[in-house]
Amino acid sequence: MASVKLAQINLHDSHEFNTSSPMTQSPPASLEDKVPYPLLKNKGPHSGTGPADESELIARLAKGDDRAFRQVIAQHHSLMLSIARAIVGDTFADDVVQEAWVCVYNNVANFEQRSSLKTWLVTIVSNQAKTRLRKESRQVSLDQLDGEVSGSYLDGVHFKTDGHWQQAVPQWSVESPDALLEEQQLQSCINRTLTLLPPAQKAAFILRDIEQQSFEDICHILAVSAANVRVLVHRARLTLMQVIDRYQETGSC
Amino acid sequence: MLNCKQVATLASDYLDNNTSLRWQIRLHLLMCANCRRFIRHLQITRDVGARMAINEPGADAEAVWNKVQTRIKKEAQPDQE
Ligand SMILES: [Zn+2]
Repeated sequence: MASVKLAQINLHDSHEFNTSSPMTQSPPASLEDKVPYPLLKNKGPHSGTGPADESELIARLAKGDDRAFRQVIAQHHSLMLSIARAIVGDTFADDVVQEAWVCVYNNVANFEQRSSLKTWLVTIVSNQAKTRLRKESRQVSLDQLDGEVSGSYLDGVHFKTDGHWQQAVPQWSVESPDALLEEQQLQSCINRTLTLLPPAQKAAFILRDIEQQSFEDICHILAVSAANVRVLVHRARLTLMQVIDRYQETGSC
Repeated sequence: MLNCKQVATLASDYLDNNTSLRWQIRLHLLMCANCRRFIRHLQITRDVGARMAINEPGADAEAVWNKVQTRIKKEAQPDQE
């Protein structure tokens, strides 16, 4: 009989990842192989920045160009905020991301572009947040790693005592991801649900399923164990799956 | 034999190739239409995520940049009030 308990959540992992400064920390390698700005697909004129544009942008940042900073902030601030929230909680996240931008401002002239700009930004905010977590660890609540939300797919009510489904898994009339994404109403349901996810789940889901980062990189960025990243991503997916369930049944959220 | 709850718990690990129980899960899926549907729907959900853009109320870049500039100035002149 195989043992298949959900991985135990270990909160103590989060304090131990690296103590180096944001600048000396080498970024997770595989972040660089990805499409530069997947977050921005369908999001307007700046979404198509390639490597050449990026070098030019970085050169403008290094000169302290106001417009370049506003552009980079517009592109990456919400990703950075999601990461900061996951690590250090809502109370300190805004502050941490501002610190990260100051750090970017002070150091972008020395940025050697061995990674993409986004990877570098993610590394900086991750390190700033971990530093802050160490300072404030008594006040930071890590309850985002708490157990199942009741009513979620994995809580008891969906299963009989022998572990079989209580009821049939609902049918979907639309099973193509492309077709689902064309439904405006569903898009906004999903987006709303994403903003309501606990911060660690949200960041893990964004980094994994939207940004397509590796589990290994994500556990470094978020300072949680690999097992925890997998659990967080699974829970987030189940929540979104229930949104799609409801949409398929009722046509709304 | 794995039961449905165990399969549902492991479903993401199965889709992401992160479980050593692959064959046990497959065996269950051969016999269980509900779990097949569940896993298929989870995979669709994952694929929807992969094609999604985040549409959060965007950061107000102007406001953030103003705050950041204020901090930069403060740090540049720590002793002057
Ligand atoms: Zn089953």
